[in-house]
Amino acid sequence: MTNYVIWTLLIPLLAGIIMLFIPQRVILQRTISIIASIILLINTVLLVFQIQTEGIQKMELGGWAPPFGIILVGDMLSGLLVLTTALVIIPILIYSFSSIGVEREKKYYYSIFFFLVTGVLGAFLTGDLFNMFVFFEVFLLSSYVLIVHGSTQKQLRESFKYVLINILSSALFVIGVAYLYAVIGTLNMAHLGERIASLTEPAPILTVIALMFLIIFGLKGAIFPLYFWLPASYTAPPTAIGALFGALLTKVGIYAIFRTYSIIFVHDPAYTHTVLGVLAALTMIFGVIGAVAHKDVTKILVYNVIVAVGFVLFGVSTMTEAGYQGAIYYVIHDMIIKAALFLLIGALVTVGGTKYLKQMGGIIKYHPALGWLFLVAVFALVGIPPLSGFIGKVLLIQGGTTVGDYWIVFLMMVASLLVLYSMIRIFLQGFYGKSVLSSKEEHGTTKGLLFPISLLIALSVLLGIGAEFLYPFVQTATEVLLQPELYINAVLKE
Amino acid sequence: MFTTLHLAIIAPFFIAIVVPILYKYFPRTHTGWFVLFVPILLFLYFLRFIPETSNGNTYHAVFDWIPSLGIQFTAYVDGLGLLFALLITGIGSLVVLYSIYYLSKEQEALNRFYVFLLMFMGAMLGVVLSDNLLVLYVFWEVTSISSFLLISYWYERDKSRYGAMKSLLITVVGGFAMLVGFILLYQMTGTFSIQTMIQSVDDFTEHALFLPTMLCILLGAFTKSAQFPFHIWLPDAMEAPTPVSAYLHSATMVKAGIYLVARLSPIFAISGEWLWLVAGFGITTLFWGSFNAVRQTDLKGILAFSTVSQLGMILSMLGVGALALHFDGIDNNVYIGATAAALFHLMNHATFKGSLFMMVGIVDHETGTRDIRRLGGLMTIMPITFTIAVIGSFSMAGLPPFNGFLSKEMFFTAMVDVASFQQFNMDTFGVLFPVVAWVASVFTFIYSMMLVFKTFGGKLQLGQLEKKPHEAPFGMLLSPIILISLVIVFGFFPNILAYTVIEPAMASILPSLLRNGEHFLVDIYFWHGWTVELFMTMGVVLIGTVLYLTLRKWKSIYSLFPKHLSFNHLYDTTITRGESLSAKVTGMYMTGSVKHYLIYILTFFSIFLLYVLFSTDAFALNTDHLAPISMYEWLLAIVLALSAIAIMFAKNRLATLIILGVSGYSVALFFVTLRAPDLALTQLVIETVSVVMFLLGFYHLPEIAENFKKARFQVKNFIISFLVGFTVTVIGISASSTRLFESIADFFPKASYDEAGGNNMVNVILVDFRGFDTLFEILVLTIASIGIFVVIKLRLNEKEER
Repeated sequence: MTNYVIWTLLIPLLAGIIMLFIPQRVILQRTISIIASIILLINTVLLVFQIQTEGIQKMELGGWAPPFGIILVGDMLSGLLVLTTALVIIPILIYSFSSIGVEREKKYYYSIFFFLVTGVLGAFLTGDLFNMFVFFEVFLLSSYVLIVHGSTQKQLRESFKYVLINILSSALFVIGVAYLYAVIGTLNMAHLGERIASLTEPAPILTVIALMFLIIFGLKGAIFPLYFWLPASYTAPPTAIGALFGALLTKVGIYAIFRTYSIIFVHDPAYTHTVLGVLAALTMIFGVIGAVAHKDVTKILVYNVIVAVGFVLFGVSTMTEAGYQGAIYYVIHDMIIKAALFLLIGALVTVGGTKYLKQMGGIIKYHPALGWLFLVAVFALVGIPPLSGFIGKVLLIQGGTTVGDYWIVFLMMVASLLVLYSMIRIFLQGFYGKSVLSSKEEHGTTKGLLFPISLLIALSVLLGIGAEFLYPFVQTATEVLLQPELYINAVLKE
Repeated sequence: MFTTLHLAIIAPFFIAIVVPILYKYFPRTHTGWFVLFVPILLFLYFLRFIPETSNGNTYHAVFDWIPSLGIQFTAYVDGLGLLFALLITGIGSLVVLYSIYYLSKEQEALNRFYVFLLMFMGAMLGVVLSDNLLVLYVFWEVTSISSFLLISYWYERDKSRYGAMKSLLITVVGGFAMLVGFILLYQMTGTFSIQTMIQSVDDFTEHALFLPTMLCILLGAFTKSAQFPFHIWLPDAMEAPTPVSAYLHSATMVKAGIYLVARLSPIFAISGEWLWLVAGFGITTLFWGSFNAVRQTDLKGILAFSTVSQLGMILSMLGVGALALHFDGIDNNVYIGATAAALFHLMNHATFKGSLFMMVGIVDHETGTRDIRRLGGLMTIMPITFTIAVIGSFSMAGLPPFNGFLSKEMFFTAMVDVASFQQFNMDTFGVLFPVVAWVASVFTFIYSMMLVFKTFGGKLQLGQLEKKPHEAPFGMLLSPIILISLVIVFGFFPNILAYTVIEPAMASILPSLLRNGEHFLVDIYFWHGWTVELFMTMGVVLIGTVLYLTLRKWKSIYSLFPKHLSFNHLYDTTITRGESLSAKVTGMYMTGSVKHYLIYILTFFSIFLLYVLFSTDAFALNTDHLAPISMYEWLLAIVLALSAIAIMFAKNRLATLIILGVSGYSVALFFVTLRAPDLALTQLVIETVSVVMFLLGFYHLPEIAENFKKARFQVKNFIISFLVGFTVTVIGISASSTRLFESIADFFPKASYDEAGGNNMVNVILVDFRGFDTLFEILVLTIASIGIFVVIKLRLNEKEER
């Protein structure tokens, strides 16, 4: 029987390594990229179905049984995130082909791209906290390279800040791991969960460590008040890289919080999960305030990345079935729609020739397809039914009202409204309105850019209308989160 | 199962997909002709349900959409749903017909127009024919969106976009509130099906969430139906092409809120809050709308406020109708009449307001203006349009023999009856209802007269008009003529509606009053004798005429209202102030300076964690399991600390480097004292290599910048760095002192030797137990080196970015 878990990491790793040797062969690199990503997609689809039929999948590396060796664990939460990752990278790759430029392609762009994907996938699949740190390093290093790739002035300026803050958070990660090891004596996540669940007396030091991990992962996941590095650094690199970051990177932080706060740190939810809920609410509000504040379309979008982080983590903080399901639906939706929106905004800036709303207008006249795709994406983002954001939002509200977090639900709706306002402004002022450019003055074309965007939008629509199809998988994922024993037993006992 | 009924609801969406193709390949035929078939066929289809529903039967078909989450697309046809479905498709047919003449196929993007219009039609059918609340919500939002798109149809105009944004924001606020309300209902009842909820309604009327739920849902209904103070979006929505105004913003979409109130009456109407809210907001809106309609100078503006007012009137009747629930059965239950009146007026309003909008569209089309200050004297030039205007306006004003008179009389009856109700303070405040109703009717009379006589009476001012006016083509007149004939027909023969549509709809709104097989008695006729209502109408005509004739003398009362206190002003300032406030808030902390960001992050990190540590009593100090500290270690620790402090004061690179080396080497020596020679060696190598590399690099670098040299001691920075160090240390001590479990480390010495076959445990861990980590650490190094290479080799120009 094939172990799809390990192949999920090997495929992008090998693709990246192979392409290290052929930097000048651009067409060949593109071909390899596409083939590798399609194989990866097939592999992850098989993985998800395998998890659904046979239960949690694992891989004991070096044959060392947990908790002593490193273990990769594919439960459904990991499986769905891995699958979504494999899905969104294809359109981003295609978009890169016609937008990233040959110079960058010749300088290991695709290799680093796949290394980043490897790191992200590894972080989703690992069952060992220290190993997670290693995968964090893999995708962080790759992101450092991608953010500065091309060395334009803005990239150099912003990458410095990005690197500095992320190195700080990496240091904290190691410190946190050390603390946890001192107290619990293990780093295997299932083992940690098992040991903490067996505690009969309160252990306040664990609360402190749990919250420290919230800060560590929150720095990656961009929660309030730790997201300051995000807006500028996501807008500095070219569109395709921004899309990759917007779709994947914050999600790793979210996943890590999701995982640790459902399987490991469940000893004092009244404290830890309340803090999580409050920070999630503040994240939504401050994120959306930033989105409303800006007139630069790229900035409007990146602040919306932050808002979504708040939505998902709010679902996690409720620790209810509906909340977890909502968080899963929403995070999948957000990966797709954020990728789409980054690409759309990139295309808008390309054809509009400016990032500033005030200088745009009437773009829909010459680029109707782009305009309507954008509008659909905005409605999906806001959770207007029947697009993909809707089901997630409904479940998140349900989760919130079940536990009585009415005020966070209220803030979430306010944030959703302002998200709509911030994005629909782009449509009304940028795409609608009087055209500022004649058709001859158009800056560039959308050739090659519309296809990948349409793929993502189609995916979003399908996810909304076909939510029922996804439901059994989401339910499987939620079961494990609600009953951590399932995860623990699968890793340690079988 | 997906049935014909589902198909009927969804059909407009499918046709909408085909429209752009038809538009492209049949450029000679007005696209409207293709579209026209959709509402006509649907209208005929829904007509066939009348015999069923008038017998009290209902029809429902379930299509599983997301059954796991309780979301079924349940198409449900009963009296209420059918009434609306007929309205939507009936008026829809006429509006499409009208639009064919109104929108020129040469100048307008007809494909967009009809796509949006069909989207709206399908969505609206979905709203009124869905039993599942979430599916209803889905369609509800789609109506908001299609309305947004239709208002902004002429997207180059600033006002269109302003109106579109306003309507979207206000209706979406309501939509979101409604969604939360629906989910709360689900939480109370465990179902999204309205009919199932109605059956178990007694179980949750006492629930703590009952009132908040009701408020959320009513917010949705009120925003959609443009109730005071949310009505402000409707006048601005008049930027849409006139067929759209006639269809969405008077006949159908704005009645979605009324539909919702009617539909959920069986659940909420028993409570006093519902009664007061629905009737109260309704009657307030009735007054405010009619009062403001009089000050308008744009014909569409008058109609917009008139619509607001009439929607309020219908809603107030629905609210008052809830009183009927406080009686057993239908015998001698006078309040039932209010519900009948609401439904009857709903239909009447669609007919006369629809025709009036079309009339205004014609005037606009033929003269180029809608400003009543420039219009006048069109009576002889446009006789047919004039006739339409007279009949429509007189019906609206409540004059016999038109249908508006009948429903206005019924309205007065309902309002007069309210005052005699004995609960919910109705006996004290209830008297306000007939008074306000009467005053509002006076204003209604005035603006109705303005519509007719300011446009068609008086003198013709040809110089003020953009075109030379003449009567509209027959095709354009056809739809309003049909509607206006209905005004007359319903006026003379109201009972053709009574048992076909009105009574079955009442049965849906007040199901609890009917015993098996019973029917409501609906009998509408002109002459009730010399009643209070008749005198009220006569008063309206008398006072209304006087006020209309003296309009100029008292119009100045409108300027008494300061502009900056209006709700429009509130909306505008909320938007602009909100934006500038957000920019201020965000600008305050997003300075772009990494130093600031680090300050925030580190301050949060240390203060928050210290607070948690001490407030949860997690701090612990336990040295039992620690070895004694030797003198060497003390010494090393002091050297390490001193070097760390000293590095702050280093003024040139070489000194910095040497001090850095001191701290590195002392760490290595720590490893030596802790008997980890291989780690010590590794650390020594790293230190040595990095010192050498730094030295090589420094050779190529300039001196340290002056401002760095002059950097002085800063208290703030010192406190932050101290706090961070303190936090990490204190938590470290606490963690180390609270060992809750045995470490798994004991496994490794033996397993390294026995199973892995290695003598050096650290090496075995690195390459075997945790070889996977090592593999990816190697990848990290690879990436880093590629990164450095790329930074050096690739320098792109910012201008070429995309």
